[in-house]
Amino acid sequence: MHVLFIHQAFPAQFGRLALELAKVHGWRCSFLIEDLSTCPTPSQEMLDRLELHRLIIPDEDRDSTPTPWPQIFGKFLGLARAVYEGVAMRPDLRPDLVVGHGGRGSPTVFLPELLDCPMINYCEYHFAKRRSDISYRLDMPPATEVAPFFPKCINAPVLLGLDSMDSGYSATRFQRDTFPERYRSKIEVLFDGIDTHLYRPRKDVPRQLAGKSILRGTKIVTFVARGLESVRGFDIFVKVARRISRARPDVLFVIAGTEQVYYGWDALHTGKLTFKQWAMERIEHDPDRFLFLGHIEPEQLAEVLCQSDLHLYLTVPFVLSWSLINAMACGCTVLASDVAPVREVIEPGVTGLVEPLFDADQLADTALKVLDDPATYAPLGQAARALIEEKFSLETCVPALKNYFERVASAGKTRRD
Amino acid sequence: MAQDPLSLLCVEPFFPGKLGAIADWLVRRRGYRIHFFCHQVDAQEMWPESVGRGLDVITYNVGGVAKEPSVHWSRGLERGLCYAYGAWEVFDHRRLRPIDVVLGRSGGLGSTLFASVSYPGIPRINIFDYYYRPHLYDVTEDRAGDLPPEYFLWRRSANAMDLLDLENEVTPVAPTLWQRNLYPPEYQDDFTVLYEGVDARKFVRASERPREWMGRALPPETKVLTFVASSPDYLRGFERFVELANRLMRARRDVVFALVGGGPVSRMLDIHFHGQDYVKHCLEQNPLHDPSRFWNLGACSPKVVSDLLSFSDLHVYPSRPYPVAKSAVEAMSAGSVVLAWDSEPVREFVEHEKTGLIVPGNDMDAAEALAVSMIDDAGARRRIGLAAAAVVRERFSHDACLPKFAMLCDRLAASSKT
Repeated sequence: MHVLFIHQAFPAQFGRLALELAKVHGWRCSFLIEDLSTCPTPSQEMLDRLELHRLIIPDEDRDSTPTPWPQIFGKFLGLARAVYEGVAMRPDLRPDLVVGHGGRGSPTVFLPELLDCPMINYCEYHFAKRRSDISYRLDMPPATEVAPFFPKCINAPVLLGLDSMDSGYSATRFQRDTFPERYRSKIEVLFDGIDTHLYRPRKDVPRQLAGKSILRGTKIVTFVARGLESVRGFDIFVKVARRISRARPDVLFVIAGTEQVYYGWDALHTGKLTFKQWAMERIEHDPDRFLFLGHIEPEQLAEVLCQSDLHLYLTVPFVLSWSLINAMACGCTVLASDVAPVREVIEPGVTGLVEPLFDADQLADTALKVLDDPATYAPLGQAARALIEEKFSLETCVPALKNYFERVASAGKTRRD
Repeated sequence: MAQDPLSLLCVEPFFPGKLGAIADWLVRRRGYRIHFFCHQVDAQEMWPESVGRGLDVITYNVGGVAKEPSVHWSRGLERGLCYAYGAWEVFDHRRLRPIDVVLGRSGGLGSTLFASVSYPGIPRINIFDYYYRPHLYDVTEDRAGDLPPEYFLWRRSANAMDLLDLENEVTPVAPTLWQRNLYPPEYQDDFTVLYEGVDARKFVRASERPREWMGRALPPETKVLTFVASSPDYLRGFERFVELANRLMRARRDVVFALVGGGPVSRMLDIHFHGQDYVKHCLEQNPLHDPSRFWNLGACSPKVVSDLLSFSDLHVYPSRPYPVAKSAVEAMSAGSVVLAWDSEPVREFVEHEKTGLIVPGNDMDAAEALAVSMIDDAGARRRIGLAAAAVVRERFSHDACLPKFAMLCDRLAASSKT
C-alpha cells in the first residue's frame, strides 16, 4: 500500500502514524509538506524511513502573515494548487490512497484531476457560527468589524473539502460533530494516537525544569498550549494562578507554549502586547513563581508533565489539544474546563476534574483541594493513564487507522467528480 | 404575525436580473412591498412595470477586489464576499423595517450571506442556479480537450459561495430538478424545486403574421427560424445555429433566420471566447450562404423579442447542457416550435414531437431533417406550437409558478414569527 499524506508541516498529525505503517506493515508512505515542524520536530528515523517532498508555495500563499478574512479562501486555493502541482511534477507519486489534513480546508481538492485513487480528508474542525471556538469568549467580545462576517465564510475551504472527499475522519467525536450533520455519516472518529512510552508516569525524576532545580516541597502547576491565547484560556489560567498563589506560597506555575496567537482576535484586544503579556499585566504577580518555557520538544514536555502536581487545561469548546492527552498519559491530575471536547476524555471524578471555564474562583478552589490533598486525587491520574493506554495510544490507534485506510482504499473512488 | 402582504428585501448584483420579474409579479399580483438591492441597474426599457409602484430599487457599491474589472480565478469568492459586504453596508445604513423575507440569488457575485447580520431571524430564500461539476455539462461537454488544466481547478473551486449559503440557514430554491440534482446529494433534499416562470402575457402567438417586419419583407410562404441569446456564445451553441442555417439556406429558398443578441461573450465559462465577438468569429469560420436571409438584429428590446417570437416558425435552441434559457421557454409560450439539442435540462421543458423537437446527440443531419419536416408541415407546427404554449401557461408561466413562490414566502414569514 502506498499512502500519500499531505500536511502543511511534518511530522504533525501523520508522521508518527506513517512511521508505524512503514516500519511495522511495510507500507510506502510519502509526504507532501510545506515545512518541517518545530512542534514537534521530526525524528531522524522519520526522516530516514519516510519520503518527504517539499511543496513550492508562492510567497503570497504562505501562512506567515495574518490574512484578511475575505482573502482566506484564495490563500487556501493557492496551497491546494501547490499540492496539485507537487503531484503533477512527480510521476512516481501515484499512491493507492491520499490522506490530506483538512485543518485549513482540504489540500486534496484539486487532486482528482491527477489521481484516480480514493481521498481521505482529516476533518479537523468546522467552525461554529456562534458560542463556540473563536466566538465562545463572550467576556472578550470579538472586534465588531469582523465578528459578524468571519464565521459565515471561514468554512468555505472546509466545505469544498467535504464535497470532494471519499471519506473523512476526525480525532474526536466532538470534532466530528462540529461538521454539518449531513456530512457526518462520511466521517469516522479515529484518534491519531500518542506515544505512551514517551508520555508515561515516571517516579524519582530529578526535580529540575529548564536547567533549574526545584526546591523540595514545591508544588508544580502546569499549563500547556501551542500558543498562549484566549481560546486556550491562558488569561483565565493566570487568574486562577493568582488565587492559588495567594493561598499557597509553595506553588510554581510552569507554562509551555509560544506567545503566538493562532486563533481568534486576541490581537485586537491587546494592541502591541502579546496575549501573554496582556494577561500577565492585568494581575499582580510574583514573576519568580511563573516559569515560562516557551516552545519545548516532546521529550522535555514529557519531563515537565511528569513533575506536575496539577495540570490545568482551560480550553473553550474547540479541537482537543494533544497536550491534554499527553498530561493524562503522564498520570497527571487534570483540572479542565467543563466543555464538550473535554468531557469526551475526562469523566469528572474518575479520570480528572472539570469546572466551568469562566468560574476562576471555583477552578482555584478545586485546584487548591488537589494541591492540599494529592493522595486523594492520585487515583484520577492513574485512571487517566489507563484510559489513554486503552483508547488513545499508538498501539490502539494505529491498527484502527490502518484498518480504516485499507477499507477506504479497497472501496475505491466513491466521490462525485 | 407577518404582515399581509409581505415586505421583501431582494438582493441581486444586477437589476432586474432574475429576481426582478419575480419581484414585479409579487408586487403586482400580491401587493407585496419590495426593496430591491443591486449593484448595477439595466437600461430603463428592461425594468418591470412595478418599479416605483411598490418595487423600490436601491443600489449598493462594492469595494476591495470587486472594484477590479477582472481578478484571478482564485479570488472569485473574495470578490463575491465584497459584493455581499457591499449589500450589507446599505442594509445596515438604511435599516428598512419591517422585512418579512430576504430573497437572493446565490453564486458568482450574488449572495445574501451577510443579510442576517442586519436581519437576524428573518427567513432567507436563495435561488441556486448552477453547481459546477468539474467535467460535466456546459462547455466541458465536447470541448474538454481544448481547455487548460487550470480551468478545471477553477471549476472545482467555483462552488464555494453556494456551499457557504447552503450552510448559512437559507431556504434553497432550484428552478428545475436538473439544477437541483447538480448539487451535492447531502443538500438535495433541502431544496424546493420552483421554476420562476416567464411572462406568458407578453409571449403569445400573433393572430396574423406581418408581411413586413422591421423594414424586412416577409412573404407568406417564408418560414422564420429564430435564435435568441443575450450574448450568443459557444455555450448556447451559436455555431450550431449558423451551420444549420447554412444547410437550410442551401437546400431551400423559403427560410429566413433571425438572430437576437450580440456583443462580446460575457459568461466566464467559455474562456476561449470570453470578451470576444463570437458571432463574428462563427460567421468568419462558416460564412453565410445567403447573408440577405440572415437577419442579425443584435441586442434588442424585450418588445422586439416578443414580436419576433410571436411569428417565429421554428426557434432553434442548440445549447450545451446548462440551465434552460428563458428565451426558449418564451418561444414556447409564443407558440413557436422549439428545436432543441438534447440534454437533461431541455427534457424538463420539451417533450419530443409533443411540445417541441429534440435533436438526438449532436447530430446536425438529424437537426436538419427535423427542421425540414417542421418547415414543410404547417399542421404539425400549429399542433406542437399550441401544445407548447399550453404547457407554458399551465406549468412555466409566472401565473403558474409564482403563486407557489408567494406561498413559500408566506409560509416562511409566518413560521419565523411563531
